[in-house]
Amino acid sequence: MAAPDLLDPKSAANNSKPRLSFSAKPVVLTPPEDDECDTRITVMRWKTVSAIFFLVVLYLIIGATVFKALEQPHESKQQMTILDQKIKFLSMHSCVNTSELENLVKQVVSAVRSGVNPSGNSVNQSSLWDLSSSFFFAGTVITTIGFGNISPHTEGGRIFCIIYALLGIPLFGFLLAGVGDQLGTIFGKGIAKVEKMIVKWKVSQTKIRVISTLIFILFGCLLFVALPAVIFKHIEGWSALESIYFVVITLTTIGFGDFVAGEKGGSESPSGGSAEIHFYLDYYKPVVWFWILVGLAYFAAVLSMIGDWFRVISKKTKEEVGEFRAHAAEWTANVSAEFKETRRRLSVDIYDKFQRAASIKRKLSSELGINATLNQEITPGKRTLSVNLGDERECYPNLTLPLTPVPGALTRNGSLYLNGLSPDYAVERREIPGMDSLK
Amino acid sequence: MRSAGRSWLLLTGFVVFYIIYLLFGGLVFSTIERPEEERLRHELDTLRQEFLNHSCASAADLDLFLARVLQAHRSGVSVLRNSSQPSNWDLTSSMFYANTLVTTVGYGHSTPLSDLGKAFSILYALLGVPFTMLVLTACVQKLLFPLVVGPVALLHGWGLEPRAACALHLLLLILLLLLCFFMGPAALFSWLEGSWSFLDGVYFCFISLCTIGLGDYVPALQPGQRNKPLYQVSVMVYLFLGLMMMFLLLRAVHKMADVHGLTTLLQLPRCQESSPDDEQRPIVENQGKNQSEPTDKIASPANTTHPSYNTILKG
Repeated sequence: MAAPDLLDPKSAANNSKPRLSFSAKPVVLTPPEDDECDTRITVMRWKTVSAIFFLVVLYLIIGATVFKALEQPHESKQQMTILDQKIKFLSMHSCVNTSELENLVKQVVSAVRSGVNPSGNSVNQSSLWDLSSSFFFAGTVITTIGFGNISPHTEGGRIFCIIYALLGIPLFGFLLAGVGDQLGTIFGKGIAKVEKMIVKWKVSQTKIRVISTLIFILFGCLLFVALPAVIFKHIEGWSALESIYFVVITLTTIGFGDFVAGEKGGSESPSGGSAEIHFYLDYYKPVVWFWILVGLAYFAAVLSMIGDWFRVISKKTKEEVGEFRAHAAEWTANVSAEFKETRRRLSVDIYDKFQRAASIKRKLSSELGINATLNQEITPGKRTLSVNLGDERECYPNLTLPLTPVPGALTRNGSLYLNGLSPDYAVERREIPGMDSLK
Repeated sequence: MRSAGRSWLLLTGFVVFYIIYLLFGGLVFSTIERPEEERLRHELDTLRQEFLNHSCASAADLDLFLARVLQAHRSGVSVLRNSSQPSNWDLTSSMFYANTLVTTVGYGHSTPLSDLGKAFSILYALLGVPFTMLVLTACVQKLLFPLVVGPVALLHGWGLEPRAACALHLLLLILLLLLCFFMGPAALFSWLEGSWSFLDGVYFCFISLCTIGLGDYVPALQPGQRNKPLYQVSVMVYLFLGLMMMFLLLRAVHKMADVHGLTTLLQLPRCQESSPDDEQRPIVENQGKNQSEPTDKIASPANTTHPSYNTILKG
């Protein structure tokens, strides 16, 4: 069931789970009930798919006949006009001037826009709007490839093209989803078999997935890109690069139209080998269309896989960035906690030393004379210090403060706060200078 | 709120990277293709001179000349004017080309002439197409809430039942799209391009926005076009916005088919609700399940409840 999501690039991008292997189901030997359920669903889907396929073919045939009826008269008129021009030019060829040449070239260019090649005679030129070519054109419209080597020139043709595309593109989308599902089932079964074999070798799950993806890509490339490229090179006479270019441009539905398979047959003059080519051409174009259908499903799967990789990469980067940020936050929190702890210990230590110095100073000044102490401001905080002067001998050995000063402790010995005021209170009141810088 | 801000940042990052990718592609194509184009034009000029020197032209010569003219025209080079014609591969035109490559429209009015250009086009397309699809779907995800779910909830709040609200909203959306992205631009194009009629403009808009891109009508190609770079850039912006709107419409239609039970009838995949970026707040606030919601949805694809859209409709 994951296959249709894979193959519709629009809805596949909504799945956030990265699909590294084609089968999103885990490789487990399923109990027989599930197998039956799967086969029943697959059988019903197959019927739906073939019904939709016939509907699409019918739709294309209808489109082809309508295009032919609308465009062919216009095309033959253009052909007549260009031939007349050519005959006129040849009869006047004794004196060629610029304006006539320009005129001729203008006519040629507009004829080319209608898809007509003026450099043959009208006897053996097959129309660009015969049934098989119109079928091909209708196919290029509803697959949204749109080569453009043929395009409608009448107003009726254009209006019909719009309506045709409006109905045909969703229809083709359904067909593509169905075909992709079938393709996915076939590939999935094959890959499951391969994965079962590899599991025996005790390889990790991710490796299995990677290997199965690689197998899928290689096999698909061989079947849908390399083989058709070789066939096009042989039949159309393009170079290898041009064949691959055509395959990629077509299967991604870009469809420039500078290279189109089966186009040359329209304007080739009969010579020795072209009888074979004409024989091919009857079957060539429908085979090409069928190849486009299946190849489109494959390419949609590949492109959605690339899109998944993009999303996985962006998710991974996001995760990594998130992890990094979490680590950084943790580190910062640790460091700041340690810093606070150190600072507190440091401040207590400094206060301790300051208090010792102050008490020594008071002792000295009390020994020397009382006047010095009377000038000092007696505040409650300082009173705790001065009150403790008497206890200093007992206090000194007990000057190891508890790390967390407990406010309101009233014990006389071993603590500094006799009247219920802690040294921190003195610090907070900014009464002891020098402590401010530590805050 | 922080996660929503972050997802917007991610989206703008995507769009900026997309623009940079286009610029890069434009530069590369310009440097690869321009010399080749010059050479072809020069060759055509000498051919024309030789033809004019003949006082008496034979049919074989004429056919040869015409064949070369056709080949050149297919590559986008016209022999009608003298060599002061603006190049098809200057920076904005190359960017335009890269845009047609990456949105899969593919007009074909200018195609790579050199082998290197072709090879680079292949690689560029293989990477650029899925990336563009990703960007477009991400943008559509963002727009989905204000443009689809919000108005439907509003309509439902006014007393319409879910299916009717859905259908009415779809109709309004289609009308809006027709007016702003087909009729309006078509009128503008038929005014800016002298030889296009209104119908031609509508035809062009439709063929471009469906990414068919036949290439019989391409804007900004008239000789002597004023402000050609600005014109081409605005056409690229129009293409991007229009494609986004088409994707939105597709999503809305798919959802409506879900609501009306058509997708289950045809056994087609249902419209998935999970966003590509998991940062987005779900429409219905179930706080604890933000991260597990998308994986739940994938684990059970047959899950028929889509809490964001349907719960609003079902009240």
